[in-house]
Amino acid sequence: MNVAPALLALIQVMAMIAFTPLLVGIMRQVRSLLEGRVGAGVGQPWRDLRKLMRKEPLRAPGISWIQAVGPIVLVVSSLILCALIPLVGTIAFPGLPDDLFVVVGVLLIGTVALALVGLDAGSAFGGMGSSRHMTIAALVEPTVLVSIYALSVPIGSSALSRIVNQRIAEPATMAAPVSLLAMVSLAIAVVAETSRMPVDNPSTHLELTMVHEAMVLESSGRDLAWLELGSWLRLSAMLGLIGALALPWGMALEVAPLPLLVGVLTLGLRLAVLAMALATIEVFLAKLRLFRVPELLAGSFVLALLAVITSYLTVTV
Amino acid sequence: MIDTSLLVQFLLMLLAISVAIVAPARYRALLTGPVVSAIGIAGVVTGWAAVTGQHGSLPVPITIPLGAVTFAPSALGGYFMLVIGAVGAICGIYAIGYVHGPAASRTSWIALAVFVTAMEFVPAAADVVAFLLAWELMAVTSAILVVTEHAQRPAVKTAALWYVAMTQLSFFLVLIGLGILSAGAGSTQFAVFRATHWDAATANLAFVLLVLGFGAKSGIVPLHVWLPRAHPEAPSHVSALMSAAMVKLGIYGAILTSTQFLRADTMWWGVLLLALGTVSAVYGILQASVTSDLKRLLAFSTTENVGLMFLALGAASMLRANGINAVADSAIAACLFLVIAHAAFKTTLFLGAGSILRASGQRDLDLLGGLGSRMPVTSIAFGLAALGAAALPLTAGFVSEWVLLQSLIHGAGATNRILAITMPIAVGAVALTAGLALMTFVKAYGIAFLARPRSEGTSRAKESPISMRIAMLLGAAIVIAMGLTPGLTAHAIALAAGISSVKATGPLTIDLSGVAATLNPGQLLALALVLVLPVVATAAVVARKRPRRAVDLAWGCGGNRLSPRMQYTATSYAEPLSRIFDDSLRPERDVIVTHSTEARYLVDRIQYRQRLSDVFDSRLYTPIISFVERIGASARRLQNGKIHFYLAYSFVAFLVVLVVMSL
Amino acid sequence: MTDALFAQLIGTCSAAMLLSAVLLVWRRAQAAALPLISLQGLALAGLVAVLGLKQHSPELLGVAVLVLAFKAVVLPLVLVRSSRGERGGAPLINTATSLIAMAALTAIAYAVSAPMASLGTGPTIQAIPVGIALVLYGFLLLVTGRHAIVQLVGFLVIDNGTSTVAFLSSGGVPIIVELGVVLDVLLVILILYVLTGRIRSEFGATDLDDLTELRD
Repeated sequence: MNVAPALLALIQVMAMIAFTPLLVGIMRQVRSLLEGRVGAGVGQPWRDLRKLMRKEPLRAPGISWIQAVGPIVLVVSSLILCALIPLVGTIAFPGLPDDLFVVVGVLLIGTVALALVGLDAGSAFGGMGSSRHMTIAALVEPTVLVSIYALSVPIGSSALSRIVNQRIAEPATMAAPVSLLAMVSLAIAVVAETSRMPVDNPSTHLELTMVHEAMVLESSGRDLAWLELGSWLRLSAMLGLIGALALPWGMALEVAPLPLLVGVLTLGLRLAVLAMALATIEVFLAKLRLFRVPELLAGSFVLALLAVITSYLTVTV
Repeated sequence: MIDTSLLVQFLLMLLAISVAIVAPARYRALLTGPVVSAIGIAGVVTGWAAVTGQHGSLPVPITIPLGAVTFAPSALGGYFMLVIGAVGAICGIYAIGYVHGPAASRTSWIALAVFVTAMEFVPAAADVVAFLLAWELMAVTSAILVVTEHAQRPAVKTAALWYVAMTQLSFFLVLIGLGILSAGAGSTQFAVFRATHWDAATANLAFVLLVLGFGAKSGIVPLHVWLPRAHPEAPSHVSALMSAAMVKLGIYGAILTSTQFLRADTMWWGVLLLALGTVSAVYGILQASVTSDLKRLLAFSTTENVGLMFLALGAASMLRANGINAVADSAIAACLFLVIAHAAFKTTLFLGAGSILRASGQRDLDLLGGLGSRMPVTSIAFGLAALGAAALPLTAGFVSEWVLLQSLIHGAGATNRILAITMPIAVGAVALTAGLALMTFVKAYGIAFLARPRSEGTSRAKESPISMRIAMLLGAAIVIAMGLTPGLTAHAIALAAGISSVKATGPLTIDLSGVAATLNPGQLLALALVLVLPVVATAAVVARKRPRRAVDLAWGCGGNRLSPRMQYTATSYAEPLSRIFDDSLRPERDVIVTHSTEARYLVDRIQYRQRLSDVFDSRLYTPIISFVERIGASARRLQNGKIHFYLAYSFVAFLVVLVVMSL
Repeated sequence: MTDALFAQLIGTCSAAMLLSAVLLVWRRAQAAALPLISLQGLALAGLVAVLGLKQHSPELLGVAVLVLAFKAVVLPLVLVRSSRGERGGAPLINTATSLIAMAALTAIAYAVSAPMASLGTGPTIQAIPVGIALVLYGFLLLVTGRHAIVQLVGFLVIDNGTSTVAFLSSGGVPIIVELGVVLDVLLVILILYVLTGRIRSEFGATDLDDLTELRD
């Protein structure tokens, strides 16, 4: 009975590996076009990955096995995310429900791997990025868990597939205030967790402001390729999560060729829409000062808490 | 069987004492360590027998007017014996290689053996007298162990003083609390307590006293002040025993009080427990995340975990007060899960810290670094335990937090509004705690074991002897094993707490039927392995074609004078956090800028000093202490050394007694 | 209108009010405050309109129009005029802390409104805590705001909160009462507006910290 979920997980992982570099390409291209530049084309991230994968990594004195293992842990944790989150269909493993707490736990494994890679070389930049990254991760956590709480209140379970199934069955619940507030706060949390604007500028190399880039400064060659792929997969898995909650239509409810095909296509469509939206919004945002980030996160925490409380207020009698 | 094994434990303690006395100094550790370890193993056996429902009792043949003195562990007590025994066994092995100087003396070994045994007998006690006897024995021996290295460092004396004061406060509160219960029930037997129906006033008074007394023992805020002092100054195996085992007895007392003695669950009891727990959890981890002393960090993390246990217990009481019993049972299970998970990873972490301290002479993270290549085994054990402490998947810590969160989110939708708003806030607090714990342990591991050494001693560090390595690896293995087979632990917990809604379906799966959730970490591991294979295979193929190329320098922004002093330290790692929580931590910062003599615009050196103190020290304890000192000063006037005054005091006392008697 | 739709609309309107209040505290820039207060008025008008449609009461619909006109248009416009040229000042406690305080206030509002649940059942009674929360938020703004404009905004939020409680608990307020209340508020705002103008001409700014010697 584990065959169906395993097959689905495999398809999701393959689809995400195929889509993710394109997704990043789309985001960069949209950004370029909006800023009046030509852009490198949608396929550039793929070409970057291929190039990096072929280059040898450099080994500075004093670095440890973390430098080699960390990137792989990051990639694998992101792949597990892709397998667990209902992206193409909503069939979960029986003993391993796609419980949101498990999903967050797996996400944090990747966070920790990245932070340790940053600390490994012993350069000032790596430590700086790692410290900021973990500070943000620590402050994001309450928002994430409380918004999960809000989403789980109406159905009494924190399993993602059940939440998504219920949304497909009753689309009206998506417009309920609890759902809207929880989605907004979850979206802010995702933006912070995946190092996007306005929390971190993914395209900066200015020492004073960078977070993610500072951690990967010491990595090169295939290590860097894994790190980039892992971070991109994280981003697209999280966008996929938002997409599954906000636009759940087209999900495969059973493992059969046609629903799966539709599921994969709608996943691509969903991701493309979200990527374009995110890139467009990012163009209009300035990066927040690091010490203004807690305000953003406190705000999103309040929204999540409001979501929970409004869920009590709006019980249909 | 239990009566025999309790007796065996006692005899083993006597054996350990005699071995410690007789054995020559060279072989003392080698001979006594295994016996201490055997006491622990006997405790595990006894505990397991009690958990699986066997009965037996060991009456102590002494005549105290207060009643019989009997040791007969209940299932719940057995669970705690199990945990304490395992910690004791591991620490016994570790101590063989670790002890040196005063910690290797006869006194220390004897105190250690008696300490472990006393801790085993506290949860075995079946009446008030036995409980208090074992409790006080545990307190005294632990105080002796804390003060071990007082000749080396003056800080030890202050720490021991704080510890003794707080531990006696705790004893005093527990004594009065249990005394009230005994008076109310007309018996000192725990069995009678369980069957008594209390009137509200007695129950409330006893509840508050006992919770504060047990809370002081387990390091709940604001009674936690002894933890960050005593844990760093005690020898590391003693810190491990105190932090992983002894504070759990405070939790045992709290569970005993709230779920067995005083079963009438009142809403505000739950609120009190939950509030204490929430404050301790958040405050503890916040302090841990900004401190740079490794053992102090671990001590504050104990406060955090104890806070989570109180939080779970409080949630259980609140849920039960509202009649949501199935979810309440999950919350109790979460509390017991946290107990065993914390025991496992905190033992390993303290032993790892001891190993670092022994090898480098440092426990200040700002002076460590690069130990991963110098002490590989310590690094692996500490790393795995740190993953557990950060509650990442596949470790015991994750399972326990998962159970806790599941029981909290299913408390929602209740008709009681207090419950309905408390649960999401509790989830938020647990989440913040988990997030900060993650940062804390990334900092602890990353700064100590990665990058380059930040001091002389650290760069000369060598791996620890074999017994220490075995003990640490054992602890780390338990952290992972319990994370992968939560079913086994769930089974033990269901038996110990007598709950049916938490059960195991096989050793791998934990099933919370009260909240309709199951977790099988084995499947997660399988999924991870399936996904790891292609990635590693690709990496290996590429690596064969293009091996790594060594370069001379890490990338330094074009600069080429990267010295270890330029690395991020623990203090700088936590700097953003301490800025964000400035209002609650109130650090003292000094920045001293020395200008060059030639030109005011050139800077010679900048000194940055930051001191983080415990807010409760300065705001709560300092006023109390100065108040007590003022009273002491005025009392000194009575104590003026003149014989006539003393005789007069006796005379007055005699008169008072006469008058009172005649009334 | 079905019961489910009614409950949903009540929920959406009250959530919009809460959201606008949170954003008011969060985004302390003056430019953001005015659209937000206007949004809050709009949501309140929506609430009244929903109630009117549900009860088929033309009078309530009239009240809705009145609320819309005053709270979503006129009062914000007055605010715009009075705050022209002002820059948002830092509040007395930092934004993150006030946000956390809001979370606590929301929880308190929910807890203390338990007695009102006995007024009946149904979506309107369920949503009463929203009104109380708005009142508490308004007080928070009053207490922590450093500028006279923020005080005005806080005052408006309190007023919106009391109206919300009134509408939800009694199922509607007669138009004449609402008219009276609205005019009262307008009067207060105008007085404060004049006062602000005087303060500014006197001190050059509207920082209330300059007003420490009111007793003289």
